[in-house]
Amino acid sequence: MKRILKLSTILAVVISFTACGDKTKRTPNLQFMPNMYEPVGYETYGENDYFKNDMATRLPAKGSVARGEVPYEYPDTNEGYEEAKLNLKSPYPATKENLENGKKMYDIYCAICHGKKGDGQGQLVKNEKFLGIPNYKDRDITEGSIYQVIMYGRNLMGSHASQLTEKERWQVTMYVEQLRNDLIK
Amino acid sequence: MKSVNQHSPLSKLMKLSFAFLLFFTINLSAQQGDATKGKQLFNANCAACHKLDKKLIGPPLKGVTERRSNEWLQAWIKDNQALIKSGDADAKEIFEEYNKMPMQAFPQLSEQDINDILAYTDDKPAAKAETPAAGGGEDMSQSPEVLAGKKLFNTNCAACHKLDKKLVGPALGGITDKRETDWLKAWIKDNAALRASGDALAKEVFEENGGAPMTAFPQLSDEDLNAILAYTKYGGKKDVIVDGKDALVETAPKTPFPWQATIAAVVLLVFLIWAFTKNKNGFVKFLSLIVVLIGGAWFAFGYMMQVGVDQDYQPIQPIAFSHKIHAGDNKIDCQYCHSSAKHSKTSGIPSVNVCMNCHKNITEYEGPVTAEHDKAFYDGEIQKIYDAIGFDPETRQYIENYEQKPIEWVRIHNLPDFAYYNHSQHVNVAGIKCQKCHGPVETMDEVYQYSPLTMGWCVDCHRETEVDMTKNGYYKKIHEQLAKKYGVVKVTEAQMGGLECGKCHY
Repeated sequence: MKRILKLSTILAVVISFTACGDKTKRTPNLQFMPNMYEPVGYETYGENDYFKNDMATRLPAKGSVARGEVPYEYPDTNEGYEEAKLNLKSPYPATKENLENGKKMYDIYCAICHGKKGDGQGQLVKNEKFLGIPNYKDRDITEGSIYQVIMYGRNLMGSHASQLTEKERWQVTMYVEQLRNDLIK
Repeated sequence: MKSVNQHSPLSKLMKLSFAFLLFFTINLSAQQGDATKGKQLFNANCAACHKLDKKLIGPPLKGVTERRSNEWLQAWIKDNQALIKSGDADAKEIFEEYNKMPMQAFPQLSEQDINDILAYTDDKPAAKAETPAAGGGEDMSQSPEVLAGKKLFNTNCAACHKLDKKLVGPALGGITDKRETDWLKAWIKDNAALRASGDALAKEVFEENGGAPMTAFPQLSDEDLNAILAYTKYGGKKDVIVDGKDALVETAPKTPFPWQATIAAVVLLVFLIWAFTKNKNGFVKFLSLIVVLIGGAWFAFGYMMQVGVDQDYQPIQPIAFSHKIHAGDNKIDCQYCHSSAKHSKTSGIPSVNVCMNCHKNITEYEGPVTAEHDKAFYDGEIQKIYDAIGFDPETRQYIENYEQKPIEWVRIHNLPDFAYYNHSQHVNVAGIKCQKCHGPVETMDEVYQYSPLTMGWCVDCHRETEVDMTKNGYYKKIHEQLAKKYGVVKVTEAQMGGLECGKCHY
């Protein structure tokens, strides 16, 4: 009798202690049937020792063109920039839908520095992380040069080609032109 | 054996006047440009490619006026291409040195503007000292006066006073708002004398704080007192906020101890022990057995139901990437980095080129630090991306033929392989905000799993969510048919077939 009492008090104390302590879960929980949880094939961004660096995600082979993309011919040089500025024209018309999606994409990818109005007063400029972002109206830009810069970046701005598809880049270009025209007015 | 120079009064005068003249000319040349205005112009026009002390796209510009003449700089800034074409050797050399990257021409800057900018590149410290004053007290806590005041406060006052809390004497943060400066100065210098003079306020304060006389500080000059008062006004605020934050972080995760439940459990346990040992009544024993069985089943069920559920899972990531700094403080859109969420099944871990879009410029951390994580810690975390991709933050160049290393992350949200989930469907078509499932990520220094990601949780949302048909003609016909079938105005996701097994399990 006494032993049971003693044991149960110890049990109660232990249980009450487990309720306290650091609750941060640093390790994943148990899985019921791991065979059904874990994939047999390799997972996106997963580790796979078959490949160099153990990375299942591989860089595309040189010269490969993703589906839906069009090879871009202007090189990332000053001459390429001038050429694109003069000759490169948008294959898409500036319709309402295109401009709408352009605005959506611009607000995500560009406005953080260039500002929602294109005046160079984005959040990162206000926080003094980036300085000297130009106002679009102070720059002599064309649709070709805008597209070229999204594609390759320029000076401190990096390429945004990996985040936007070809069509989205053109939609952003249209929207930037619209912003610039509004600013010049 | 000392040789002593004999100064005639005349030569002394000559030297003095020369020094005076020199001083005056220096002053004159400094007045040519306004460094404060220059800073604004510099930040607006030049800072995209130039820093004062470091190479960015173009060369560092500190002290550039010592290297080049004013005329040359004027010509270069206004139209560097014309200068290069004119055959200027210096211009050509710098153009070659910086990979023939043409600099933007600035014809809109006046001569005065350029002089202002050059004045700013000349004397950074002076400009820095001016900014707090010009900034309207935005960051007064770092001004030299406040820093001096902090020192004095810590040596003279801190034994009895704190800024934010009562110690021996009252809390002194914001004391200048409560009392007049002159009164405060008189009080600090000799409070006993002030009381003796019959000052009513002094007597009141004395009584209020338990009648313990404060030490007199006749040795403190007026300047010292000003500094101390400045510190009580501006210096404390930052400390107080940081203190408050720390306290918040410590207390927030603590949930109150479940006393009632514990007491109930102990009482029940004692009762059950009594029922099975001392008790002779068979019915009570039977009842107790049922209670034990039901209780046991309840616990077993509860345990089994949480197997495979990883809510609140918060692993330590190899890079202490803070979503709070990026998405919260700097308000970068989730999709800036997780750009494939709009087109793909996975939301995408950003590749390092996306990190480098900003961190090509931001090579060190300049935000607030805590006791746990200092600046060196954050700088080290930024350095990890440079180590992975092979970037030298000093020269701002990618290292050639560098063997790039992948960055490992610990996956937090992990659906089992038998459940299909597609980000683009939810982000693009449904237009759901990321936070709905991932929680307030923009406040998380360390990300944890906010939602349980169980099937019940998915199904609940599918039952409640009404499908927005206005922007999507694709579903128009089926929506009309379904609305008729169910007799509702708006069709939910579940009625669209969002509960069919094969939609997610196939």
